[in-house]
Amino acid sequence: MSEKALKRKKIDFNSVSSVLYPVLFGILIFILWECGVLNTVLKTDTNILPAPTRIAGIMSENSSKISENLSATMTVIIWGLIAGSFLGYMAAVFATRFPNFGKGALTVLSVFNAIPIVALAPVFNNWTKDVSSEASVRSTVAKILVVTVVCAASMSINAYRGLTELKPFSLDLMKSYAADNMTVFKKLRFHNSIPYIFTALKVSVPSSVITALVSEYFAEYRMGIGRQIRDNISIAQYSAGWAYIAVACLIGILMYIILIIFEGIFTKRHRK
Amino acid sequence: MSVLKRLSKSKYFNTVLWIVILIIVWEIGATVVAATKRSPENILPHLSGIIESVVSKDTINGSQTAVQMVLENAKATISRALVGFGIGTALGFVLALFMSRFKTVEKIAFPYLMIIQMIPILGMAPLIFAITQDISKSRIIIAAILTFYPVATNTLAGFKAVEKEKHELMISYAASKFQLYTKTMIPSCIPYFFTGLKISAPMAITASILVDTLQGGIGLGCLLSQALKGAMSRYVFWQIVFLSAFIGIFSFLLMGIIEYVLCPYKRKGNKQEE
Repeated sequence: MSEKALKRKKIDFNSVSSVLYPVLFGILIFILWECGVLNTVLKTDTNILPAPTRIAGIMSENSSKISENLSATMTVIIWGLIAGSFLGYMAAVFATRFPNFGKGALTVLSVFNAIPIVALAPVFNNWTKDVSSEASVRSTVAKILVVTVVCAASMSINAYRGLTELKPFSLDLMKSYAADNMTVFKKLRFHNSIPYIFTALKVSVPSSVITALVSEYFAEYRMGIGRQIRDNISIAQYSAGWAYIAVACLIGILMYIILIIFEGIFTKRHRK
Repeated sequence: MSVLKRLSKSKYFNTVLWIVILIIVWEIGATVVAATKRSPENILPHLSGIIESVVSKDTINGSQTAVQMVLENAKATISRALVGFGIGTALGFVLALFMSRFKTVEKIAFPYLMIIQMIPILGMAPLIFAITQDISKSRIIIAAILTFYPVATNTLAGFKAVEKEKHELMISYAASKFQLYTKTMIPSCIPYFFTGLKISAPMAITASILVDTLQGGIGLGCLLSQALKGAMSRYVFWQIVFLSAFIGIFSFLLMGIIEYVLCPYKRKGNKQEE
């Protein structure tokens, strides 16, 4: 939507209002929140629901502690995302190579997608007890594994579609060239799958963030943004809890924006 | 030989084959763990052990067997998830309807729907609990929010996917706005609506279980954290893991079944896609 609008570079009323309306709405909410109207509506005091400026203040006061937790959470998200997407893609390649046998694997894998994270996290905690004697290391491994499982499922299904839903006749053309499987993959399937990879990532980036946060709740070692949200609130440090929530939201939004930028770069090159 | 060949092409056979492979891997793992660990049931119990604990008649807390307890808690969790899911579905559908009817509403709400998608709502669970001060209210709110946005965005996509010709044909019939929606727009957005439901049903379950863990009481999440702390047999934990996995998967399949029953006209077209 916004891309197209930028391309046209025509500032008509329509595009102005589609930016202006949501921004105005946001400002309205911000003012209501800052002035305490939201507190009255939700019947909470300013302790539980502090004003946005106060939350920002706390974020800057605790910046060193926040960045420590942030890096712990980001490690989990990034490694889990990479490992899960890679495994999911490999599963999709496998399913493309061995259609019948592999398709069954994809069905089973897609079922994993519906398993609640709450059930996965403690299981992986149990399984990683021997990884290291350091609680922090084995907790990190457990969390990465949970994120991996969640990301693998969505990647495998989308990548499989990208690898198999080819342009009509393109596969026949490759066959008429007597191209072997590897060549078909390199020249045809891989390129075809790139937009699908991004479709998968659009699902798995937000869900990897949430999975990382939730698996921190269950982790043995108390570390990470998610854990801080929970711990701060359980000791009634609501402002600090809000600060960590703000950080969590920023992670989600920033990662999504980065993803959209990458999508723009890669799919454009792909089109050429 | 030809039977084997035909079997290997069947979708169900391959799925079952993979499930069998998984079970074999699990059992090998369990055997290894049983040989090397002091308390194997904490890490990887034999599946037979879990099944045994399901059918066992021994009481766990004096009055209930493990299964009775798990099922009772599951009932509480599911019923709460259902309420949130219902509210979220209704709100999401109504918002999509307003967004398609009034351009201004769409302009205001759509960017925020996108943002909600990016921010971790489940992570906010403890805070919503702090604001509402009521565990069941916060459970319903979170399940509702998580249900709300996939339903809203997908239904809106459904409204937008209505063919222009259909739209114009209705207008040429001098159909009122109400007729336009009831006769063309709503029926054609139903498949999209169900796509939203399929995404959000497992999420509502996850939300409900997660919020359970925030406070004691009744619910699968509470039982899960108690079992993890070692308050009762570890097999209760494994039962919960498998049950919640099953509920999550089942909720997804159930939406597909409901869609199949409600939308007979979709069946033919859908077969080709699959």
